[in-house]
Amino acid sequence: MDQYSQQLDGIFQALADPTRRAVLARLGRGPASIGDLAQPFEMALPSFMKHIHALEESGLIETRKQGRVRICTIEQKRFAMIDGWLRDQRAIWEGRTDRLQRFVEAAAKGQKT
Amino acid sequence: MNPQLDLTINRVISAPPDLVWKAWTDPKSFEQWWIPAPALCRVLAMELRPGGSLRTEMSEDGGPFVPHMDACFLAVEPQSRIVFTNALVGGWRPAEQPLMTAIITMDEHPDGTIYSATAMHKNPADKTMHEELRFYDGWGTVTEQLARLVERG
Repeated sequence: MDQYSQQLDGIFQALADPTRRAVLARLGRGPASIGDLAQPFEMALPSFMKHIHALEESGLIETRKQGRVRICTIEQKRFAMIDGWLRDQRAIWEGRTDRLQRFVEAAAKGQKT
Repeated sequence: MNPQLDLTINRVISAPPDLVWKAWTDPKSFEQWWIPAPALCRVLAMELRPGGSLRTEMSEDGGPFVPHMDACFLAVEPQSRIVFTNALVGGWRPAEQPLMTAIITMDEHPDGTIYSATAMHKNPADKTMHEELRFYDGWGTVTEQLARLVERG
């Protein structure tokens, strides 16, 4: 659970920046090279690379070398994790309610007999 | 209700509300169902009044008991409603890591009790972030891909 929280923290930290969100939005349409990704931003390449590294460290994107360019793609499992967070909470509450129901219904039966 | 942050569970329980209330508010009973076996739950505090502490520990695989929940009751209405949050701890003191407020209700039902648990969560990220995200066309694509991925399970 702690590791899970840490991973989520990393994801949300990576998302808390407009440049990184714009990069993700672009990658949502398909893979792109770092050069193409950097083009819309008035930013020196080293600064832009910091954003790419942050995204890569959070696991939200993957990069791989293809010839002379580096291609970035979105890592869908990470996005599923954000969504999975609420599903996990729901599963916890469903389980709790199941157990409460069994406990109370057993107690009610015990009272009648 | 915010479908991205909140959830509600509704359940008809074949027992009267006073039994459901007892199961919830008697620490020894609460320990029996709050966390799934074989993990063990221990109630350290259950002060059933607004501002009262709700504190539990858990033990897994026979290990030592470790903190599990540290929350504060906001409303306690016998056989009707319990509201608590981990945004505060006992005595209204702000908590380190607020995450959720839970609203538990129990009402009479022809078959016993209609029980409802609603958990409202803090956005794990900045709220403005989500709003901004919606303005990006690409985000829609990501969300769609995500939805498909999730649906496939």
